[in-house]
Amino acid sequence: MKIFSKYGSVALLVMGMALQLAAQNNDFRKQAPASGPAPKIEMGAYTEFVLDNGLKVIVVENHKLPRVSFQLSIDVPPFKEGDLAGAADIAGQLLSKGTTTRTKAQIDEAVDFIGASLNTSADGIFGASLTKHKDKLIALMADVLLNPAFSEEEFTKLKTQTLSGLAASKDEPATIAQNVSQVLNYGKDHPYGELTTEETVGKITLQDCKSYYDNYYRPNRGYLVVVGDISVADAKKIAQQHFGAWKKKEMTMVNLPAVQGPAANQVSFVHKTGAVQSLIYVTYPVDLKQGSPDVVKAQVLNTILGSGFSGRLFKNLRETKAYTYGAYSTLQQDRYVGFFNAEASVRNEVTDSAVVQFMQELELLTKEKVSQKELDLAKNQISGSFSRSLESPQTVARFALNTSLYKLPKDYYATFLERLKAVTSEDIIATAKKYIKPGNSNIVVVGDKDASAEKLKAFSANGKVHFYDIYGTKINMDGAVVPSGLTAEAVIDSYVKAIGGKEALLGVKDMSTSMTTSAQGQTIGMTIQRKAPNKMAMTVDMSGMMLNQTKFDGVKGEVSQMGQAQPMDEAGLQELKDQSAMFAELEYAKNGAKLELKGVEPIEGKDAYKIEITSASGKKTVDFFDKATGLKIRSIETEVGPQGPTTSTSDYEDYRDVNGVKIPYRLKTVGLAPFPLIFEVKSVEINKGIEDSVFQVK
Amino acid sequence: MKLRMLMLCALLSGAWSLQAQMNKIQFVEYTLDNGLRVILHQDKTTPIVGVSVMYHVGSKNEKPDRTGFAHFFEHLLFEGSENIGRGKYSEYVQNAGGTLNANTSWDRTFYYEVLPSNELELGLWLESERMLHAKVDIKGVETQREVVKEERRERIDNQPYGSIVEKVFEKAYQEHPYKWPIIGSMKDLEAASEGDYKQFYADFYVPNNAVLSIAGDIDIEAAKKLVTKYFGGIPKGKKPVYRPEIKEPALTGETRDTIRDNIQLPAVVHAYRIPAQGTKDYYAVSMLSTLMSQGQSSRLYRSLVDEQQKALFVGNFPLSMEDPGLSIAFGITNMGVDVKDLEMAMDAQMERVQKELIPDEEFQKLRNQVENDFVTSNSTIIGIAESLANYKVYYGDANLINTEIDRYMAVTKEDIQRVAKQYFNKDNRVSLFYLPKSAKP
Repeated sequence: MKIFSKYGSVALLVMGMALQLAAQNNDFRKQAPASGPAPKIEMGAYTEFVLDNGLKVIVVENHKLPRVSFQLSIDVPPFKEGDLAGAADIAGQLLSKGTTTRTKAQIDEAVDFIGASLNTSADGIFGASLTKHKDKLIALMADVLLNPAFSEEEFTKLKTQTLSGLAASKDEPATIAQNVSQVLNYGKDHPYGELTTEETVGKITLQDCKSYYDNYYRPNRGYLVVVGDISVADAKKIAQQHFGAWKKKEMTMVNLPAVQGPAANQVSFVHKTGAVQSLIYVTYPVDLKQGSPDVVKAQVLNTILGSGFSGRLFKNLRETKAYTYGAYSTLQQDRYVGFFNAEASVRNEVTDSAVVQFMQELELLTKEKVSQKELDLAKNQISGSFSRSLESPQTVARFALNTSLYKLPKDYYATFLERLKAVTSEDIIATAKKYIKPGNSNIVVVGDKDASAEKLKAFSANGKVHFYDIYGTKINMDGAVVPSGLTAEAVIDSYVKAIGGKEALLGVKDMSTSMTTSAQGQTIGMTIQRKAPNKMAMTVDMSGMMLNQTKFDGVKGEVSQMGQAQPMDEAGLQELKDQSAMFAELEYAKNGAKLELKGVEPIEGKDAYKIEITSASGKKTVDFFDKATGLKIRSIETEVGPQGPTTSTSDYEDYRDVNGVKIPYRLKTVGLAPFPLIFEVKSVEINKGIEDSVFQVK
Repeated sequence: MKLRMLMLCALLSGAWSLQAQMNKIQFVEYTLDNGLRVILHQDKTTPIVGVSVMYHVGSKNEKPDRTGFAHFFEHLLFEGSENIGRGKYSEYVQNAGGTLNANTSWDRTFYYEVLPSNELELGLWLESERMLHAKVDIKGVETQREVVKEERRERIDNQPYGSIVEKVFEKAYQEHPYKWPIIGSMKDLEAASEGDYKQFYADFYVPNNAVLSIAGDIDIEAAKKLVTKYFGGIPKGKKPVYRPEIKEPALTGETRDTIRDNIQLPAVVHAYRIPAQGTKDYYAVSMLSTLMSQGQSSRLYRSLVDEQQKALFVGNFPLSMEDPGLSIAFGITNMGVDVKDLEMAMDAQMERVQKELIPDEEFQKLRNQVENDFVTSNSTIIGIAESLANYKVYYGDANLINTEIDRYMAVTKEDIQRVAKQYFNKDNRVSLFYLPKSAKP
């Protein structure tokens, strides 16, 4: 017993010690370990020199990987392109589309052969490759820089692409809000307030692109930034050899008009029929230049307000109020004039409530000091992201370029973290008072005016909501009132009259319309044949090859793709039924469609009556009829799909008389295909006697 | 936090998930008593450190009636641990000025933080907490189940062509666990009990099934001490880790199908069965797809997008997988082009490779491109940490980060022609047409 007990106690003792050890071992896990001493952040070094033609060269040597990149940037002074806005962008893209000795295909081949990349734009050229291919790459870069072909064919392609891009973005709330903010913040007389539109692109000629290149693609305001596995001596040799002969030419610096924010809050609204969300911008210009001691304070301030998931805007509008998926802000410095913007997309019903929250958050910053915890979190986020960005040698190059461009002190970035650390909550409130202007903002909203415009009057100093088109031109929505007593039926009647009158329309027994459109470089033909009362056939072909044929004999429908026919499904059939009438407007009453006159809206500068048509099957269409001519100028169809409602917009133009009936000869659609389509009518034939067999469904 | 899944990325970003570089990467490796393999790579150029843990568990280790577990854990294991409060993982990291994320594949799950180098210990604490005693309870399961459902809606159901990977794997495999999607079945996730989740954690989240890979501004000896402090006491798994040894029989003829989806433009999908990563033929297959798809002068792009204008986008992407996987060719038709027409044009390009040897100059271009990608791939410290872990987990040889390029350079023109014939034929593929849902005019 005794021995046992002795051993037992020893065992207990050992066990106890072990337990204690284990407890100690686990104690260190209870809380996060303390940080080690802060590491020294060292900037990589760089070398700078200037060629005789004025080209500044910055070299960042970094031999970690056997790669080199060359970034040629031109510090193009801001200037107005006027009615040729967009020429510079097209000129920049044209550079890599052929030189005097290489076609586009040959350039692609040469770049791929060495596994390199090469891109050109309005203000520079970027290329990167393995060290061993750098001579070939730089030769290609110099070729596109100095000997661009400016081929008419490639120019036309780029112009078409630019136009498709503009048309596609017409529906994007973000593009619209940016357009309008630019115009309101800087004014149309400032280069920053200038917009590229279909009109300006239409006017650009190849010569304009050549002039831009000739005037601005010059070394005297240029920077060649060389980064990677290359010695300074080599970089010097390469720069001299390939860019030494590049001729300089003085550029004119225009005087920029002074920019001032709004004297008091004003609400600017862009109406988008059927929008389910309002995109809100609270924005104004700021005078905050690179190198100002305010820049770092402004960065901390903006991080606290709205740079990410932990920003106040995000926490308030998303986490607390659930108005939006995300709310953010930007406070951007700029050499000439910067801007502030706070933004969120919110559902229609809470548009005004969201503006209230935005304004409260802005005011709070100017009234209350931020807590130490909030300040520290923001500073930690900024310093962390600064340190991590130094992993890329491109960051050092960017710092070097900024230092030169903005004439910053040489140690500006080296001392960044010190300046960040020194920012206090007193600084933040002082900076907020200077740059956060809840009483001098442009409140820009893109949304459905019927759903949200009225309630926004309260935020405007003059009690008014001003309406704008998508390019920031003020339009008058107030004057557009519906004459009293006017009904939807009367609008439809006057439309029927405008296109020839009921009698003439009833006299149309059959009609065949052929049109073409071009998409992605292909010409597509479409022929629609109709026969009273409700037969329809449609064929789509490309280069004489039939792609799709749809037939409806009044009861049954079928669709064939590449010669294989299949019966129409339920939904398709309903749609065909809805569309099969020769002139749907004549049959609204008979088919049980409901009409509602929703008001007057300007469409492409013309006041138009807005009529909502709800078919018996529940499908909604909104048509717009020109107040002056009575003609239908736009139609918006809404389809409710599994991803929510989608809309397609068709514009009707160029009405021409055919057998006493007015037919639109141009049709523009957005929303049917991933890109906008413009159909040009080639021929319309009325009462030529179309056989029933054309519509026959097997 | 949105945690990405590797499969879509692999498909969209191309072929090069196998990585290495020309300047030799130095590293130290050793194994703790509990089986945890540790790799340390020092690079003092920037005062940051990447801390990562790769667990050798992916969707292929799941039971057939409990699919989606591996990916689900990638979500669940951010919920907290015995010492880390719910939702605090990211707060610790952000407060320290760092970033974090994770991703899951068929074969492995990867977690990482990038931190200032004086926060190495924080990273080790966070990762060791996750390995030792993560919070696996019903509350976290229920929260994350909803998040994963949203993820599925956003990335697969609601994404044009988003179901391609899922569809081809379902049709290309009958036996092997690759047949179910990484994100798994929502039904399985709902049917699972708290016990099932706890068991999965106990089975796979053990040191002997993981590689701890650290890269950046570290002192090797100090890092070793910290690794022992945080990971040394984590007990080894109690039983051998389940690794399926299922041989999928060869495809014996083309499988064809048509998928109706919410898309605007029809698409052609060809999924070919290819050998496992690391095999000699895999490297040839990989170079074949570079030939077909990389750059504006590649064969598919130049002929089908530029010249014939039949496709808006076309490419061929081999998936690098531990067991024999798939290479997916994918083409979206141009406006008004029939899918069959595009399919014939894609086949014609493959037939050309099968019939004619690649010209010398084009073969040289191919080698140059492969070399360039190889060198460029490891330009960040977290990328290096992940590559080292990958090579260790799959091949037991982290030094492949320096030498794998030799395997690519050993591939001949004849090899490429041979694999084109052997694997890229109709009998060895699943063919899908993606067509718009409504047969609208």
